[in-house]
Amino acid sequence: MMFIDPHIHTSSRTTDDYEAMQQAGVVAVIEPAFWMGQPRTQVGSFQDYFSSLVGWERFRASQFGIKHYCTIGLNSREANNEALAEEVMELLPLFLSKEGVVAVGEIGYDDQTPLEDKYFRAQLELAREMDMPVMVHTPHRDKKAGTSRSMDVCQEHGLAPSEVVIDHNNEETVKEVLDRGFWAAFSIYPHTKMSPERMTAIVQQYGPERIIVNSAADWGISDVLSVPKTANLMKEKGVPEEHIRLTCYQNALDAYGQSGQMNEADLLTPELVDQRKKFSGNSILRGGQTPRVDKSGS
Amino acid sequence: MNNAAQKLLYELISQQSPDEAVTWLDQQAGKYRSQPNNRIFNLTFSTIVRHFEKADLTLNDKTLQRAEQIRSGWDLSQWDVRQAARTYWLLQLSADSFEEYRKVLDRLFATADMDEQVTLYAALPLYDYSDQMAYRASEGIRTNITDVFDAVALRNPYPAEYMSDEAWNQMVLKAIFMGRPLYLIQQLDERRNPDQARMLIDFAHERWAASRPVTPELWRGVAPYLTEEHLPNIQRLLEQGDKLEKQAAALAIKESENDTLNKQLANYPQSDKELDWKTIGIRYND
Ligand SMILES: [Zn+2]
Repeated sequence: MMFIDPHIHTSSRTTDDYEAMQQAGVVAVIEPAFWMGQPRTQVGSFQDYFSSLVGWERFRASQFGIKHYCTIGLNSREANNEALAEEVMELLPLFLSKEGVVAVGEIGYDDQTPLEDKYFRAQLELAREMDMPVMVHTPHRDKKAGTSRSMDVCQEHGLAPSEVVIDHNNEETVKEVLDRGFWAAFSIYPHTKMSPERMTAIVQQYGPERIIVNSAADWGISDVLSVPKTANLMKEKGVPEEHIRLTCYQNALDAYGQSGQMNEADLLTPELVDQRKKFSGNSILRGGQTPRVDKSGS
Repeated sequence: MNNAAQKLLYELISQQSPDEAVTWLDQQAGKYRSQPNNRIFNLTFSTIVRHFEKADLTLNDKTLQRAEQIRSGWDLSQWDVRQAARTYWLLQLSADSFEEYRKVLDRLFATADMDEQVTLYAALPLYDYSDQMAYRASEGIRTNITDVFDAVALRNPYPAEYMSDEAWNQMVLKAIFMGRPLYLIQQLDERRNPDQARMLIDFAHERWAASRPVTPELWRGVAPYLTEEHLPNIQRLLEQGDKLEKQAAALAIKESENDTLNKQLANYPQSDKELDWKTIGIRYND
């Protein structure tokens, strides 16, 4: 079975993770721009980060046979540094039209401060102006109200629910998100957010329409195989195969495919892995390692 | 110059793009003029990719001449429609000072993908503050991406006009390294200099030592500085070289106006009619 992990911060993961994902059937990932665990202080740090998302990281993923897409945005935490945020707002348009950028994201609220609100709205305007889908990060605290508010604001700025993925849902938020016509994404995270068991129960209750499963794996304790593991559990629990395909592959493709930057044809004809390739003169291999070179037909 | 260049580019993209695209560009230009800010400028530059095709510009001799009149050396022959639209937009950039201007362009250069880089570099002779952007050309020739290198070095009047001898010599040598056609470098003859000649001859020796071929175009850069001391090189070319190398050696000797070398040449009668450097370049590279 083929999977897409439509929310994973691969920049903070190892090459072992890429190998494990590919073996488990993950054919594509979407890496949302987010914060790095500590706040950046210069606009140049954002510029280099965004450049790596559309450049080096995509190349690195391709070296393990995985298609890498990304979203570009100013995350809510760093929106609280106003001077910096203003500069980042000038930078964002330069990246949003780049190849493989599938949405503005992940944006939204963290502490729900006035500055977070200001830059969430400014980026929704940008998404509308550039006709891009949006990935919304919902807050960990005051989640239910924060999620409702996020959807209100999206609609206030003229975005159709079908263009917006509301991420990090749980049992408390899913009904309203689906009822209002938004995409509802779930991050399967060890210990917190959502477990494969709870996810399976949600798909059993609500069906597969507009539900998207992701790992949200990052630099913290997280599991890059969350999507295939959840799919396996759903299968064990008797969830129909078509529902698994929709929630773990097709819905993400439909939601982010609206950008025009993500086509199924690209996923069905994976590039052959050739680890002899280089990106701006740099290879993923270290001294003495033997490159993996796939031959067609093997 | 800027206005005339804008006008020509606008005509070209209008002829070859859907009305929707041109209308969109007009609207963006209107917005930017009434309220110039970097967000609109950047957004428009990066979104042109969605509205304009990467299709060859349809050009006739009259258009090419017009470009040449607007900016001497401006060569549109390899441009595409999207590049023309992006360049048209770049020429809208308004800034009160070079510092401001540079800040915006530096950001574009730093975030550009390959096609955008080609556009940004090929536009060097057209910018408002062109005369202060030689640093940019030197940066451009450090790339390993052929298309980007070509945008600076080939069919572009900028390097010959603004680059220092050091940067210029690096560019020519790197063009040879990368197997680029030298005859497409503008004012190649005018910018020849003794340092360059020495570097090129050293390079030829290195290649010969490794039993690798040397482009016959190399001798064009050396010609005016050839003296008796280069006799062994010249003899090697005339005796062991292929047809084009022999032609190049003969041409270089003539240009050197060195008597000893010219006398030597008489010992090697050329069977074919004499070629010029451009023809040698075309025959070698195509
Ligand atoms: Zn995330």
